[in-house]
Amino acid sequence: MAGDCILCGKCMAVCPLLAATGREELAPRSKADLCRVLAEAPGTLSESDVEKLAGLCLGCGRCAEVCSQGVNVPELVSGLRAAHPDFRKWLWKTWLTRARALWPAGSAAAKLVPEQFRPEKLGQSLKMLANLSGGPGLEPIMRPESYPDHWRGKTVLLFAGCTATFVQSRWLMAALKLLDGLGVEVIPAEFKCCGSGLKSAGFADEARELVEHNLSLWREAGKPPVVTFCASCHAGLAGYGQAMEAGEAALWADTILPLSYVAQGISFVVTATSPNQIGYHHPCHAGGDDPDKRLLEAAVGDLLVAATDKQCCGFGGVMQLTGGGVTESVNRRCWDALSGARTVVTGCSACITQLKASAPDGVQVGHWLELME
Amino acid sequence: MPNYAQALTRAHEKFLADLFPGDGLLTSPEEMNAFSVDAGRVRAMPLAVVRPERLEQVTELLKWADAERMPIYPRARATNQVGAAVPVHGGIVVSLLRMNRVLDISDRDFAAELEPGVVTADFQAACAKKHLFYPPDPASVKTSTVGGNIATCAGGLRAVKYGVTRDWVLGLEAVLPGGEVLTMGGRAHKDVVGLDLKRLFVGSAGKLGLITKITVKLIPLPEASASVLVGFPTLEACMDGAMAVFHAGLLPSACEFMDENVLKVVRMGSEIPVHESARAALLFKLDGTGEGVDAEAKRLVRALEPVHPVSVVTGQGAEEEAIWDVRRDISPGSYRLRPNKVSEDIAVPRGRVPDLVERAQGLGREFGLPVLCYGHLGDGNIHTNVMFDGGKEGEEATAHKVKDGLFRLALELGGTISGEHGTGLSKKSFVGEQLSTAEVRVMDEIKAVFDPNNIMNPGKGY
Repeated sequence: MAGDCILCGKCMAVCPLLAATGREELAPRSKADLCRVLAEAPGTLSESDVEKLAGLCLGCGRCAEVCSQGVNVPELVSGLRAAHPDFRKWLWKTWLTRARALWPAGSAAAKLVPEQFRPEKLGQSLKMLANLSGGPGLEPIMRPESYPDHWRGKTVLLFAGCTATFVQSRWLMAALKLLDGLGVEVIPAEFKCCGSGLKSAGFADEARELVEHNLSLWREAGKPPVVTFCASCHAGLAGYGQAMEAGEAALWADTILPLSYVAQGISFVVTATSPNQIGYHHPCHAGGDDPDKRLLEAAVGDLLVAATDKQCCGFGGVMQLTGGGVTESVNRRCWDALSGARTVVTGCSACITQLKASAPDGVQVGHWLELME
Repeated sequence: MPNYAQALTRAHEKFLADLFPGDGLLTSPEEMNAFSVDAGRVRAMPLAVVRPERLEQVTELLKWADAERMPIYPRARATNQVGAAVPVHGGIVVSLLRMNRVLDISDRDFAAELEPGVVTADFQAACAKKHLFYPPDPASVKTSTVGGNIATCAGGLRAVKYGVTRDWVLGLEAVLPGGEVLTMGGRAHKDVVGLDLKRLFVGSAGKLGLITKITVKLIPLPEASASVLVGFPTLEACMDGAMAVFHAGLLPSACEFMDENVLKVVRMGSEIPVHESARAALLFKLDGTGEGVDAEAKRLVRALEPVHPVSVVTGQGAEEEAIWDVRRDISPGSYRLRPNKVSEDIAVPRGRVPDLVERAQGLGREFGLPVLCYGHLGDGNIHTNVMFDGGKEGEEATAHKVKDGLFRLALELGGTISGEHGTGLSKKSFVGEQLSTAEVRVMDEIKAVFDPNNIMNPGKGY
C-alpha cells in the first residue's frame, strides 16, 4: 500500500504533527516513503529505526482522509508496530484490554505516585490516568425543549465506549436520556472496546477478537443502527468494514451513527445563569463533517467563542508512551486555538482525556453531553 | 563541476551539530530519507539535513559551505514535480519549515513580510482576516510554502487575472554563498532604481542564494466570487467558448480546461456536475464585488450561448469550493487511469492552445497512451499528463517519446517547455532546445556572480 503513495504532499496540509514540529520526516508522505524504501530496498534502512521514526504518528487519520491514492499511513504504522512489540506497547495494551479493572483503579493509583518519582516521559500519561475519575463534571447549561418524531419507535444499539462504560457514566446517562426523549428504544448489549487503540498499537489479533465480538452482537440484534457518542470509537467501528463482505460492509457503514446526528432536530434552550464562554474541540476522528459541532452551534449559539479545526489535541494513543514529548507542541497549538474559552467540550473520549490533562488553569474540559441538564 | 565533498568529516559534523543543536541536524539515513526525494520521485541521499530557525544560522552555514565547497539544497515542502529539491550531489539539505513566521500584514502599506516556510494557504487566511488578498494560487496552495512558490515562481489557477508569484514579490532578503546578506526591494509598490535583482531570485529554484525573508504586495480581498462549470459537446466548441468569454469583455480570475480524458478520470473518483455527453469542459471563476460578480456571471453564461454548451452550472460558497476541489484532485487523481505518468506543463501563446490540445491528443493516439490535457487555458499553460504503466515493458520509454514530442510541439507553436513547474532534473536536458547559447551563457555568468563555486542546488536545469 505504501507503494501507492505518489509523494504529492496533500497529506502535509492536514498533518498536525508536521504543523507543530516543522519536522518533514514526521509527515505522512515521509512515513509512506520510509515503508516503501524498507520494502523495495531492504538493507538500506534499519527496520527498527524506521519503526521508531514512523511510530511518531498521532494516528489521527487526517492524512488518510485526503489521500487520493487510498494510502492509510496510520495503518502502515500499526503494521510496523506489530512487527516490533516492546514493553511500552505491552503496557498500553494492558491498559486498554483490562479497562474495567484498571481504569478506575489507575486513576486512584496515579494520584498516589509522588511527583518526584514520576518519570519524565510518563508524566503526562499519569496525569491522564489521574483524570480518569468521574469527577464533578461540567455545569449543565442547556436543556432539550422539544424532540422531533422521525426516530420515534425505532430500536438502536448504543455503543458507549470504554470511558463512558467504566468511568464517565454520566455521559451514558445523558445519551440514554436524549434517546429516550426521541422515543428510541435502546437494545441492551455488552459491547467490548472498539479495538482501534489496540490495532493502532500493533495488536491486530487482539483487536480482531474485539471486532468479532462486537459485530456478533450487532448481527444477533438484527443489524439495527448503532449509535455512538465518541468520535474515536466511531472511527474504530467504521474501520470494521474492512473485515466484512462488501454488501454487509455497506450496510454497516450506513448503520453506525453519531448521537448528534440522531439528535438533529431536537431544539435546546440555554439555561445558563452566568456567562460561560464555551470552546469546541473538533476531534480528528470526527472527519470533515462534524455533527457534534453543528448540534452545539445550534444549541448554545453565541456562547461558543472558540473552536479548533486543523488542530489535534495530541493524544496519539501509544505515542503518549513512545513519543518523547513530541505531542506537547501539537497540544499547545490546540490550546492556542481554544484561547478565550472557559469550558471546552468535545465528542471524543481520547481528546477529553488529553485536554483534561493539559488544560490551562481555570479551564474545564468535558463531553458536550455534560452540558445537558 | 567542482569536486564536492563525498562524506562529512568529523570537523564538518561538529560544525553542523554546534550550529544546529538538538533536532535541527539530521544525519541518520532513516531521518534523511524524506529529504532525499520530492514529488518528482527521483531520489538521492544528502550528507546531512539542517533546520535553521534564524538568519544567523543561515549566514554561518553558507559561509562554511562556500569555503568547504559543500552543495546546499534549499527545501520547503518539496511538492515540485521535477526533482528540483533532490540533493543529487549529496551535500546539505536546508529545510526552511521552521522559518515560518508571518512578521507583519499591513492594511496601510498593502504589503506583508514573512519567512519562507509559511504555508501559502495559511498566509492567505491570515491576510483574509484583515480583508487583504495575496492571489497566487498554485494547485498545491494548501501544502506548499510562499518561499517554495517564490523559488519556483509558482503560477496557478488565478494567473489569468492576477499574474504569477513574480508579480507579487516586492522585496527579498537572501543569503549568498559566503554568508553575505542581500536585501533587495522593499515595501514600495513601485521601484525602478537599479537592476531588479529580486526578480532574478523569483523562479531561480534555489540556484542563486537562500531566501530568508519575503515582502509581498497585497490587494483588497474580493468580497464575492462565483464559479461556472460548463460542458461542451466538442473540443472545438470548448475553445470557441473560452474565446467568446474573453471577447465579451470579461476577465475571469480563473479559466480552467478539462479534456475528455480528464473528465473520465474525475468521474472515476467523484461526481462532477458536467453532462455525460460533454467532450470537454471549462471552469470559470469570477471575483469582485457581490453586484459585479452577479452581473458578470450572467454575462458569461449569455456569451456562451452561441457555442451551445451541453451543461452550465453556476455555484457559490461551499458548492463552489467542492467544484474546485475536483479540479485540484485531477493531478493526483490521474493515477486512477495508469500507475505512472510523465507530467508536463507546457505553455503556448493563448491563440495556439486549440492546436496544442488537438496535436497532444493525437500524439497520445499515435503512441497508444492516454494523454490528459487540462489546466490554465486562460494563460495558455496546459498540463499534459502522459499516463503509462511502468510494469509493462516499453511503456515508460514510449511515454518519454510522447513527452519529447510534446516539448517540440510547444516550441514549434512559439511556447515553452515549462509554464510553471520549472526544469529541475526531469527537463534539464531539454533546456538547451529552448534557450539560445547566448542566453545560457549570460545565465551562467549571472549565476557565477552570486554563486562562484556552484554550491547552490547544483545539478539542476535553469
